Amino acid sequence: MIQDTVTEDILLRKPRFIGLLFAIILLVFVIFDPSQSLMGSLLEPALGDPAQSGFYGRLVTSLMLSALLVLNLVIISFIPRFGFQVVVVWIQLLILFLTFFYSFDLSFEFIQSKIWFMITQGIFTTLYVSAISIVIASFIAIIGAIAKMSSNGFAYAIASFYTSFFRGLPLLMQVYLIYLGFPQIGYVIDAVPAGIIALSLCYGAYMTEIFRAGIMSIDAGQWEGSRALGFKFGLTMRKIILPQSIPLIIPPTGNQFIAMLKDSSLVSVIGVWELMFLARTLGNKTFNHMEMLITAAMLYWMMTMILELIQSRIERKYQKRQSR
Amino acid sequence: MNLFKPVLGAVLVGLLSFTSANAGDVLDKIMSSKTLKVATDANWPPQSFINDKNEMDGFDVDVAREIAKRLGTEVEFITPSWDIITAGNWNGRWDMHVGSMTPTKQRAEVLAFPAIYYYTPAAVGVHKDSKISKISELSGKKVGTGTGTTFELYLQQDLTIDAAGAPTFNFQVDKPVIKSYETSTIALDDLRLGDGVRLDGVVSSLPVFIEAIKNGYPIKVLGDPIFYEPLAVTIDLGDSELNAKIASIVAAMQDEGVLSEMSKKWYGVDYATVK
Repeated sequence: MIQDTVTEDILLRKPRFIGLLFAIILLVFVIFDPSQSLMGSLLEPALGDPAQSGFYGRLVTSLMLSALLVLNLVIISFIPRFGFQVVVVWIQLLILFLTFFYSFDLSFEFIQSKIWFMITQGIFTTLYVSAISIVIASFIAIIGAIAKMSSNGFAYAIASFYTSFFRGLPLLMQVYLIYLGFPQIGYVIDAVPAGIIALSLCYGAYMTEIFRAGIMSIDAGQWEGSRALGFKFGLTMRKIILPQSIPLIIPPTGNQFIAMLKDSSLVSVIGVWELMFLARTLGNKTFNHMEMLITAAMLYWMMTMILELIQSRIERKYQKRQSR
Repeated sequence: MNLFKPVLGAVLVGLLSFTSANAGDVLDKIMSSKTLKVATDANWPPQSFINDKNEMDGFDVDVAREIAKRLGTEVEFITPSWDIITAGNWNGRWDMHVGSMTPTKQRAEVLAFPAIYYYTPAAVGVHKDSKISKISELSGKKVGTGTGTTFELYLQQDLTIDAAGAPTFNFQVDKPVIKSYETSTIALDDLRLGDGVRLDGVVSSLPVFIEAIKNGYPIKVLGDPIFYEPLAVTIDLGDSELNAKIASIVAAMQDEGVLSEMSKKWYGVDYATVK
């Protein structure tokens, strides 16, 4: 979307809209009965035991909650600065989220005793498996992209067969096929290399298209000029085309890395002790599954948030270079 | 770019260092490398799980350690998922599996069972609010269990236990709606949500139920155990020497009462001797 100067009335200032919003929220609350929630217990001195207060108790609790929610929305709409508004909404959503998890009655002691191991073993493994895979996938993608654009029938056929196959199968199935399939032809590979091969081949197939698009976007004149000067194919690629297409390729590659970080959880099925594996197993002895799943979820989220920050930096850097 | 070369080199070396399949003698390989590679499940307390020190621990793990000690080797644990272990064709990825596997006819086609080291009772659990009081009342109801387990075979009425000394049993649950989970601990999580919310009952091993109840799960065990499963040490097909060696080690552990002691340590009950 592009910021323009056309202004419309803010919806949250129209009494009719506020009324409608209030009615909808009230209806939802009445249906889902909030009287057992935190609000219900806050109103307990006035209404008595929420389990006993019946339909009217439910109605009053819902009224209070809806009024608070709508008031909150209206107040937020009065915050003048865009950035400030975003921060307030983020914080509110986060608090809502945390109270939601808090209501699960989690054992924080248990989380504390395991979190260091989840970081040193889990995050470490997840990161290095993904990092090695993205490097290999990039090499595969360059070769695949060049082959797909070539006029050589063999190269094109092999490359398109490869991308079609690996984009057409679920990654989980590729992990199983590679881990169980290679030994059938005499190569027994361990779980970590098998996972890396599966991730590299799958993401190599997707990134082939990214690389191809990046190379295609370079003006044909560049290619013709280089050839006219007598440059051979390899030299043209290396010195003229690729240096210009790299800035277009790197940002989507960063996105692929973030996606891979999460997809690497699939290699947990073959017994690699990465974050997802630990999330499924560490809580088993004491039956603290929810704790470990939520902790791992938070760790994945934090990792991707950091990577997204880095990603936006990279994008900004290449944008600047292009506009120069 | 100079930085990339050594990194790439290391990656390629890592990927290409395949250990080639050994069709030959597994025992020789174990003795020359001085390590016994043992596959276990990390999801199965108190048989095998990750303990507070983040190491493998449990009854099965203790048994595996003792076997390695008596072979005079170090032990290394690998944790592939259960269906990969039961699929057979290990190709030397690991040498032995001590993970409470029941020797069934189907499994004997792809795996070898040198020795039975204990028996566990399989039981049926329901939510504590459940009105069901007899195991047969679960017929046609939603019953959860672990995928690829003997409990699943029992529910499919397809279980044949082919081991000397195992007590006979009959199928008490008729045509249940079977819900199979990655492990039966997840089935217990679904059962705790409430009676009939997602499941009406769970079939698993009695020790798992006892452990769950100890940890506050609102579950009760129905009636007597439905069958006793003999649980065996497992190896890949084709090495009779290793088979004989493990059989004699486990027999010695049984005679000396080591297995009974370990069973009492982890279960509080002696499951190692046949009742």
